[in-house]
Amino acid sequence: MVNPVLLIAVPLGLAFAIPLFAFFWRPAAKYIPPAALVFNLVVSILLLAQVLENPLIVSIGGWQPPFCIILVAGPLGVLFSAIIALVGLLVSVYALDYIKEGPAEKYNMLFLLLLTGATGVVLTGDIFNLFVFFEILCISSYALVAYLRDKAGIESAIKYLIQGAVGSSLLLIGIGLLYGLFGTLNMADIAQNIKSVSPVSVFVPMVLIIAGLGVEAAIFPLNAWLPDAHSSAPSSISAILSGIAIEVGLYAVARVIFTIFGASSILLFLSLLGILTLLIGEMCAFSQNNIKRMLAYSSIGQIGLILFALAIATSYGVTGGLFQMISHTLSKALLFLAAGYMIYQAGSMEMSALEGLGKKMPLTCLAFTIGAFSLVGLPPFIGFPSKFLIVQSALAAKETFFSVLIGLALLGTVIEGAYFFRVVQVLYFKGEETNTPRKDAPVTALIPMFIFVVLSIVVGIYPKLVTDVLNSAASELINRLDYIRNILG
Amino acid sequence: MSFLNSYIYYIGAFGLILVGFYIILVKHNLIKVIVGLGILDTGVNLFLISVGYITKGTAPIFSRPGIDSEYMVDPVPQALVLTAIVIGVAVLALALSLAIRLYQHYGTLNLRKIREQRW
Repeated sequence: MVNPVLLIAVPLGLAFAIPLFAFFWRPAAKYIPPAALVFNLVVSILLLAQVLENPLIVSIGGWQPPFCIILVAGPLGVLFSAIIALVGLLVSVYALDYIKEGPAEKYNMLFLLLLTGATGVVLTGDIFNLFVFFEILCISSYALVAYLRDKAGIESAIKYLIQGAVGSSLLLIGIGLLYGLFGTLNMADIAQNIKSVSPVSVFVPMVLIIAGLGVEAAIFPLNAWLPDAHSSAPSSISAILSGIAIEVGLYAVARVIFTIFGASSILLFLSLLGILTLLIGEMCAFSQNNIKRMLAYSSIGQIGLILFALAIATSYGVTGGLFQMISHTLSKALLFLAAGYMIYQAGSMEMSALEGLGKKMPLTCLAFTIGAFSLVGLPPFIGFPSKFLIVQSALAAKETFFSVLIGLALLGTVIEGAYFFRVVQVLYFKGEETNTPRKDAPVTALIPMFIFVVLSIVVGIYPKLVTDVLNSAASELINRLDYIRNILG
Repeated sequence: MSFLNSYIYYIGAFGLILVGFYIILVKHNLIKVIVGLGILDTGVNLFLISVGYITKGTAPIFSRPGIDSEYMVDPVPQALVLTAIVIGVAVLALALSLAIRLYQHYGTLNLRKIREQRW
């Protein structure tokens, strides 16, 4: 049996050991993150088979819950840690060649810390611990956005930092209020006692916590930082921020709403907010000429769709939301990775500079096109089954409200299709016929992209590969009583 | 007055939090905004401490004789605050170093004048 603590301890230790290794052998800095993430991926997959039957509860320090910090390795947490390790591994392989300038050891250390924070958030069962891991994730992402030290990066990092710091203060106030009410920080313990106090006094900490986490999850009124930060960061970091950081934020929101508060009263409001986020994100993305900003706005749109699906709160809907998270992670990471070398080749992020690039770098552009098709939801890619599941669950909920909203969501998808097809058109059918030699991305970039493409096609054709895991992950979120019983016995 | 006596720490804490929010929302100078973040952090920390505090409280050391367990303060919020202080320091340090870079690029710290990134 493997201990889930290793999923956090090994990358954390290795992250801080990077400067030491780099002191003796400089290139070591580059190779430590892939090694740590291979370890995480293997451990997560080993654990996944085990936790599907029985969630694993690890108490740290040898005390009994609820008096200690616990790690809860349920299907949901381990599934997420596997995804984080997989995407992190592929992106770190991509970064071997992509990150040329700047202090490499700092980049790799912060990169690994970001992923450690994300893994910690999805595994922890203690709400203050969740805050700490969240801060690890946030602080390393502030620093990574400013990694290139150019004008845009610094400005976006400042914006991101100020909004993120206000958000985490709100989160901390909410946690303090919860501790004042219940005298415990264990999520299951709070969840057990939540009905014992008046709903009004629970409402204030709930709003504060959701608002605090919502900043990182980029839910509509709180997402002003996202397009700047995601578009000014180096492309490998954009892939991680879009593919992992905001998903982890949404995971935390879902965990707080479903498990801790068991709140059904605000779900309608959240689904409305989700659709609003979706429409605003897609419409802003439609009007962009800068390809990375377009991808960033499209992330906002996808977050809205996921939030909507989670807020349906049937087991179908939550499964669809989690499936969409995975499909967004794979497709958006692929899009950012491909866009990184396309921008590198074109020398500009403007759409007009990308004309005719499909002939110069065919493989990279093919990867981009597949990512775009998958995100829009065309079969046979992974985006199709996930969106299909969401539509199905919204209609199965048999409420006019959800049916109207899913109609709006489909409208958003049409807009999404419009701007992604425009990019594909620019790549292949515009620009002069020139005889510039073919110059594709290097092999270290093509291999991760190829793996993303294969994964999105395989899962798109056989969604059964993941739906079993997703179903038990969704039931972990919905059946809060099982969660409480598993932890407190 | 008894209301003030029992809630004075909460009033102070939320006062600091509101002052911090006000500065962050209203001021244009980045350094002032960072100071606002610092005040906000302090307010939150004070709030966390006052959640666990009792009047005339003492340290919760069970091995020392002569301390009534009724007057022991809750040690958990203090542990939380230690962590929160460290996190706050990290954020402020990063913010200040970014402010130096920002000044090198733009020659100003006025946030109204730095508007290259738009929706």
